[in-house]
Amino acid sequence: MASRSIAERSTLYIRPEFENTGLGVAAIGEVERPLSLIERISEIDPVRKFSVLVGIVVIWQLYTVIGNVPELMFPTFSSTAAALIDAFVNEGLLFNIWNSISILLIGYTIGIAIAAVLVVLGVTTRFGADLLTTLTAMLNPLPAIALLPMAMIWFGLNNQAIIFTLLHSIVWPVALNTHTGFQSVSETLRMVGRNYGLRGLPYICKVLIPAALPSILTGLRIGWAFAWRTLIAAELIFGGSVLGASGKNAGGLGWVIFQNQMDLRISYVFAGLFAVILVGLIIENGIFRNVEDRTVKRWGMQR
Amino acid sequence: MSESALPMHARPEFENRELDVAQNVAVERKLTLIERISNINAVRKLTILLGLIVAWQGYAVIARPDPLLFPTFTATAQATWNVLADGSLIEKAWISVEVLLMGYAAGLAGAAAFLVLAVSTRIGRDILSTMTAMFQPLPAISLLPLAVLWFDLGIPSLIFVTVHSVLWAVALSTHVGFMAVSDTLRMVGRNYGLRGIRYIALILVPAAFGSILTGLKIGWAFAWRTLIAAELVFGAASGDGGLGWFVYIKGENLETPYVFAGLLTVILVGLVVENLVFRRIEIATVNKWGMLR
Repeated sequence: MASRSIAERSTLYIRPEFENTGLGVAAIGEVERPLSLIERISEIDPVRKFSVLVGIVVIWQLYTVIGNVPELMFPTFSSTAAALIDAFVNEGLLFNIWNSISILLIGYTIGIAIAAVLVVLGVTTRFGADLLTTLTAMLNPLPAIALLPMAMIWFGLNNQAIIFTLLHSIVWPVALNTHTGFQSVSETLRMVGRNYGLRGLPYICKVLIPAALPSILTGLRIGWAFAWRTLIAAELIFGGSVLGASGKNAGGLGWVIFQNQMDLRISYVFAGLFAVILVGLIIENGIFRNVEDRTVKRWGMQR
Repeated sequence: MSESALPMHARPEFENRELDVAQNVAVERKLTLIERISNINAVRKLTILLGLIVAWQGYAVIARPDPLLFPTFTATAQATWNVLADGSLIEKAWISVEVLLMGYAAGLAGAAAFLVLAVSTRIGRDILSTMTAMFQPLPAISLLPLAVLWFDLGIPSLIFVTVHSVLWAVALSTHVGFMAVSDTLRMVGRNYGLRGIRYIALILVPAAFGSILTGLKIGWAFAWRTLIAAELVFGAASGDGGLGWFVYIKGENLETPYVFAGLLTVILVGLVVENLVFRRIEIATVNKWGMLR
């Protein structure tokens, strides 16, 4: 190929004209046809997704029953479902969920407050902006969970240690995303704000925040995802010791998973995992999706 | 609405007599040396870094907290130098990175297989969206107890959780990217007679590269965090751990300066991957193609 000369390559190849006589008039083809019932049902999205879900469950159940997998390695679906119901009804799984969520909420609130202070500093002064970018560049790549050993040395084995690590997982992504969002607010909007005589906090609240809301929301989402993962990991690793777990419902969700695994109640481990997924789905779809629908989608900033 | 309901408020004309010609104002002025230096970004950031270090050292020396709780900067630097010099830290870091690379590669392969299915068939698309919706909210680390049960303590269970943390993030964001590829580009591809793998590789992947990269970055971030957490768990169990284990065991032994040295290395690896690897790829592809400013 490479040896061909340029002149040869640049020749125009014109195909000879021809008439395709093989094409007849379409003889039997149906021009219009009502869809059959099955086709119409399979057009419905939820139906298809639900059947995929059912299919996975059936495969799971068949594999464990026919393959005779020991219950200790991979429980059947039915025993997992029974364990899930039992955990909710008899073992107070809701209390464990609430333990996790309340710690998460405390950490999330404090984290957002710290991030807000940092970002306000970063917006108003150049020193603040430098401080913010240096700190986030340095600390954002550090997985929060790696700080847990230090946190335990500093705060002892209690909730404060967990909240400290949660803070670390929330502050940096939120601050970073909010700051970059603020920086990309268009000059026109900024000048409109200045024209109204807005300064300081009103300027940030009325101009910068609404204009940068999509990336603020992204930051909040990433912060939530990191925090949730960190919390579960922290509870899983140091759960028993950190929470000084006494009594049945003392620890959080991660601790429940850990405890059940230690007791080799594997179907309850699966139930715990389902609860983790459930909480994640509720927060993702219930809260963040709703906020998004009401703000950035309604304002036409995001499709 | 009647016209009389909208009166015009015209301000009366006036002449501002107080405004004089500006006097004693430098219209143009050379910046002083200090101003010029402080305009260099790198200098300012380095100063802040130095300031943080000085504050750290000053606090540790003056307030004299228990060195087991909060070591001085010099002790930390000394510890970092020690473990760097005898090569143990680099060895640990390499163990972690190796596991991460294996998990990452396996996760990408899994995501690619799912995506090929999802692009070519509707049932594949349904399976992918159901699975990602289900597994994306599940922190990979919570699968570790099961992984330990299935694969035993050791590298395979680490790889399993890493794969889980990469697979869904990458698959989800790539799929979203594929869906957003414009119909024009798709039709161009079909016009060329591209199908199957070639259609994906030559049309969909370049067109959706921005969100693929985002997915790869998120996947990397989750994987790195999961791996460090998983190694913290293994701390108690296996002797040949990576960076997470290093941090854990030094924390257990109360060798706090070494914990800080480990944390610094974790940051360093993160910075290298983010700024050297991903930034480079971004500059060479989406930035060059003008898809991202």
